[in-house]
Amino acid sequence: MSLQERDSLCILRLKGGESSALEELYDRYTPLLYPVALRILRRAPDAEDAVQQAWVQVWKSAGSYDPRRGTVAAWLLTVTRTRALDLYRSVASRKKAENQVNPEPPSPPAEPSRLAQQSELGERVQNALGSLPPQQRQVLEIAFFEGLSQSEVATRLGAPLGTVKSWTRQALMRLREQMPQEEWT
Amino acid sequence: MSQHREEHLDLCAAYALGSLDEADRRLLEAHLEQGCAQCEAALADFSAATVLLAASAPAARPSAELKRRVMAAVRSDGPEAAPAPEGRRLVLERPRRAMLSWAWAAVAAALVIATAISWNTASRLRTELEAKRSQMTELEQRLADEQRWAAVLSAPQARVVELATTPQGTPDLKARVTYDPATQRAVVVFENFRAPTGHDYELWAIRGATPAPASLGLVKADDTGHAVLRLENVGDPATLGAFAVSLEPAGGSPNPAAPSGPVVMLGKVSG
Repeated sequence: MSLQERDSLCILRLKGGESSALEELYDRYTPLLYPVALRILRRAPDAEDAVQQAWVQVWKSAGSYDPRRGTVAAWLLTVTRTRALDLYRSVASRKKAENQVNPEPPSPPAEPSRLAQQSELGERVQNALGSLPPQQRQVLEIAFFEGLSQSEVATRLGAPLGTVKSWTRQALMRLREQMPQEEWT
Repeated sequence: MSQHREEHLDLCAAYALGSLDEADRRLLEAHLEQGCAQCEAALADFSAATVLLAASAPAARPSAELKRRVMAAVRSDGPEAAPAPEGRRLVLERPRRAMLSWAWAAVAAALVIATAISWNTASRLRTELEAKRSQMTELEQRLADEQRWAAVLSAPQARVVELATTPQGTPDLKARVTYDPATQRAVVVFENFRAPTGHDYELWAIRGATPAPASLGLVKADDTGHAVLRLENVGDPATLGAFAVSLEPAGGSPNPAAPSGPVVMLGKVSG
């Protein structure tokens, strides 16, 4: 049975209330999800809270997973990122109220070289990101890790909304093309 | 149905990235609800690219305590049951190579399968399901249709008109009309209706005090000369006087209100 088939089976088992299915998914995907939450929230305790909330949400709402919208991995990522961004906004809002100062934004886009991973695949991902035109990479990173909508990204960058949409699509396509399937195995 | 447009692909990219503005999200979701193979394929690619983007976050692993908290919350069916302990100890160490490799392997495998198997399988299954649903709907409609026409044959008030061959028809022609005055539907069965080359038989309803023919259609028989016509709105029972069959040039009488060829069968509707 392939990994994705196991993932799909896990979703079915989750719907049936099997907590062991969640444990299986947790072990498989937390190494992907936690770094995203940490990149957004920057504090490990906050990132752990976000990841915990995400897994509980997955447990309670496995029925909302729609395979037409993406893989199980992509869905888990969406749930975790949303929880992390919500928590970030909540923490930022509280700090602002307490200190009346602007909160620090989430981690700024990092240079690919600083993010270099030990693994060969990690390096390939970094190389693929680094090969994007700077504006396209910036659009991806501030949209995804800072949770800005397309119109907010356009305002931030002072670029027309249509251009931002086009950059987003081109950047994802190039990222996808530069990591062809056979290289991921 | 909203037609697929190039701009939908821009929206798919932002959707996968989680940065779609609300109005655009509603627009895209309405489009996706109607089913769009191009957008679904694009979403698969953009989602895979977004997982790659996520994998660019610096590697880190949470404390082992997190898993215990998650599982405790889940087993109690709620996050409140396992509140985060005060003063959690931060465990944020550089991941060991083995753990990192494992993590990458999981991501890589997920991505590979995501695009290579899952999406194709899901798409295929969805297509098959849609086809089955479509067949089911078609069968249900046919069944309802058959039941509707069967009701004509079994209606207690139905009248049966056996058409008789005229001197201008061949003696082996047989035709029987079953007519339901309540619904004005009729089922007509024909036997031995093999029209000479270049000709068609045409069925007529003769209506009104001053009898006026009205075409009910051509009789298209199979190789054995058998044909069945199912007719709506055959005529008001108060004015419907008879049914007739004429032999016409191929395609039928040029005048839909009068036979142009010889009338070969005739049957009066009894009161």
